[in-house]
Amino acid sequence: MPVTLVDRLPLPNLKVYTAGSVLLLSVAVYYAVSVTNDPNWRTNTTVQALEGAAQGPTGDAALSPPPLRAPLQLTNDTGNVTEQMVEVISFMMQEPLCIWTLVNGAYCALGVAGCALRRLVFGRLRVAEAQRIKDKFWNYVFYKFIFVSGVVNVQYMDEVLLWCSWFTLLGCLHLLAQLCKDRFEYLSSSPQPARWAHARLLALLAGVLGAAGTLLAAAARWGLPVGRDTFAFMAAECVLVGVTALHVVARFVLRARDADPAGPAAYYTHLVFDSVSLATELAHVAHMVVHCNALVSMASLVLLMQLRHLLHALLARLRRHRIYTALAHHMRRNYPMASREEVEENEDNCAICWEPMKEARKLPCSHLFHNSCLCRWVQQDASCPTCRRALSAAADAARRPRPPRPLRPLHPLRPLRPPPLAPHDPHAPHGPQLAANVNRANHFFHFDGSRYVSWLPSFSVEVRRVRADAPPDPPADSQLEAMARQVQQVFPQFSLDALSEDLAHTRSPDRTVDNILAGRLLPHPHQHHQQHQHHQRHGDVSHAEEPPATVTAPESPGPAEHAPGPAEHAPDRFGVLERPRDSGEWQVRFSVSAAERQRTLQRRKDQLLAAARRRYLLRDRRQPAAPPAPAAPPATAAPAAQPPFK
Amino acid sequence: MAGSALRRLMAEYKQLTLNPPEGIIAGPINEENFFEWEALITGPEGTCFEGGIFPAKLIFPPDYPLSPPKMQFICEMFHPNIYADGRVCISILHAPGDDPMGYESSAERWSPVQSVEKILLSVVSMLAEPNDESGANVDAAKMWREDRKQFNKIAEKLVRKTLGLPSP
Ligand SMILES: [Zn+2]
Ligand SMILES: [Zn+2]
Repeated sequence: MPVTLVDRLPLPNLKVYTAGSVLLLSVAVYYAVSVTNDPNWRTNTTVQALEGAAQGPTGDAALSPPPLRAPLQLTNDTGNVTEQMVEVISFMMQEPLCIWTLVNGAYCALGVAGCALRRLVFGRLRVAEAQRIKDKFWNYVFYKFIFVSGVVNVQYMDEVLLWCSWFTLLGCLHLLAQLCKDRFEYLSSSPQPARWAHARLLALLAGVLGAAGTLLAAAARWGLPVGRDTFAFMAAECVLVGVTALHVVARFVLRARDADPAGPAAYYTHLVFDSVSLATELAHVAHMVVHCNALVSMASLVLLMQLRHLLHALLARLRRHRIYTALAHHMRRNYPMASREEVEENEDNCAICWEPMKEARKLPCSHLFHNSCLCRWVQQDASCPTCRRALSAAADAARRPRPPRPLRPLHPLRPLRPPPLAPHDPHAPHGPQLAANVNRANHFFHFDGSRYVSWLPSFSVEVRRVRADAPPDPPADSQLEAMARQVQQVFPQFSLDALSEDLAHTRSPDRTVDNILAGRLLPHPHQHHQQHQHHQRHGDVSHAEEPPATVTAPESPGPAEHAPGPAEHAPDRFGVLERPRDSGEWQVRFSVSAAERQRTLQRRKDQLLAAARRRYLLRDRRQPAAPPAPAAPPATAAPAAQPPFK
Repeated sequence: MAGSALRRLMAEYKQLTLNPPEGIIAGPINEENFFEWEALITGPEGTCFEGGIFPAKLIFPPDYPLSPPKMQFICEMFHPNIYADGRVCISILHAPGDDPMGYESSAERWSPVQSVEKILLSVVSMLAEPNDESGANVDAAKMWREDRKQFNKIAEKLVRKTLGLPSP
């Protein structure tokens, strides 16, 4: 609607358009004033209208009978201005050119108002939102055109004008409601606690609802006398807007009451709103088809297609619901809901949606999921998402489970991620003892506000003691080499390259020596990075059986047991997690602002690339003739060769 | 259901930002569209792809995580399990109902407990150890089996290319 048009065109164009409209309007007003200054204008124009209004008003020159109103105007001086305004307006309403100018002015005002409202409530539209609005706008215009031209049998221009203005108003409301819906979905997925944005959205929604109600009343007031059909056409649109807006409000309420986003309350709310909206639209279109002038016309064809589409959508929605209820019934019969204690004990989130569970269904393999998440998944594949145990013939399976499939790690999984406070600096020396050190040195504070009220922020603060002796800059190559020689005097079995590579990471001969003593650095030239390899290659199936005493996850349970990593990260939904990296590294932080996140991501990418390039050139220079290493042997050997940590 | 997909993707993005696996970066290309990500994958060390930074695009379906995303390298690749157009062929990216393969393989297919991180880690291990049975790129599979030296040479060239370095 105007909002989109405004958005489609660059803003100066709106200004130009507004300026043009204002200019046009003032010209029209000036013209009307000058015409009405002549006391005889009424008769003139009447005469002219009889002659043919198309000629345009040149009437002040024409002769005319004596004025009717002249005495009044002369007697009452204060009433003069109002009188004249009434005159001007009534003239403008009669004069076709002026009417179009007025209509244009009204649309312009609507456009400006829409733009202002959009700025006030939504700020900049996201591309997806703008696209959606654009589609909806053209779709709307198309169907209303069909309606006006093909369904209601309009004879006069003013009738068309009336319908147009009616649909314009409703269209605005439709688009605003749609925008609210999109924006709310975006807000609820973004980690930013946007209370003000929510409040503005709610205010706008209330406005939309109020306007829809007013329009409905107007339809009853003026549409009903014209005929039931007219009233139904008018009312249907109002109801549709109302349902859309109410649906968004219902989402707000669900969220504010902290309802399980996949729970039955949410499910049935969406179901009711979806089907009411679809059914209303269906009835509306069906009514139009019935009311169509000619059954075989372009309009009725388009409407029938639309009808078919809506019917399909409604049936699909109901079918989905039937499957859902059937599955829900099946699950209710075969798998009990987890008891309250079990849910509380289970600290992981639902593995499907990664959101916390208030109540959960328990599968025979004792994995917990949201009821509805599970239902949606089971429609695709009847197995436990985590361990892949089949759920088909579930009634039997519950009682006598299949001969236990080997619960080998089924997917290339990494064991549970390290808790968020473990260091993730790849350059820092690894090892459990070090992790313990860091744990001791770190203060980790976590506040989960959403446990109290959903919109309260959650945040974690990690205070980390940065080693004061860590040099801020990576040492220069010559320095590295000197340090490497120093270390090599003690450990001659190590190549200079391997040592300087490690020194580039540790930046201190002492720590490199520590690494060697701890067995983290092996004389083999290709294994000085085994930690990294190990880390990266954790995904491989063949390594997943190894004992969980790995660096990354010292106490992780076996892969088959664990729910996904997010369990530890999801609680701080709003992501104010400070993670200072030591020694001059950038701080990785999941910002609340999208732009900031985008910048951080770009910077990280650039840094990764730059580091890789540097590393590559370094390696290239050191071993100019060496062919790249063969792939398999060192890679598989590395984790196995890893000695136990002390 | 795009709402739950968005929430989940946001959670994954956050996790990958705060706790990135070594040598892997992933995130939306533009947050306007959360269903299209770019990932940078470092070639695993000790393999012929060592040192390269391979960019890939991930396209998520609206019903993610019920359906797997699609993954496609946007740099030139030569690998038995990567199609010529960059699409990646690994079992974790196949929906359970995709094709009626064996009992065993269905276990390794997509499930909602998988995540972007796990996909990328599997791709890293795929780079390290091609599975020459599934021939997405038959030429590469053949060369991998029969002429490893030539394969390594090509991989080396690709690595240099991804780093923006001229070929020697
Ligand atoms: Zn769930
Ligand atoms: Zn299970």
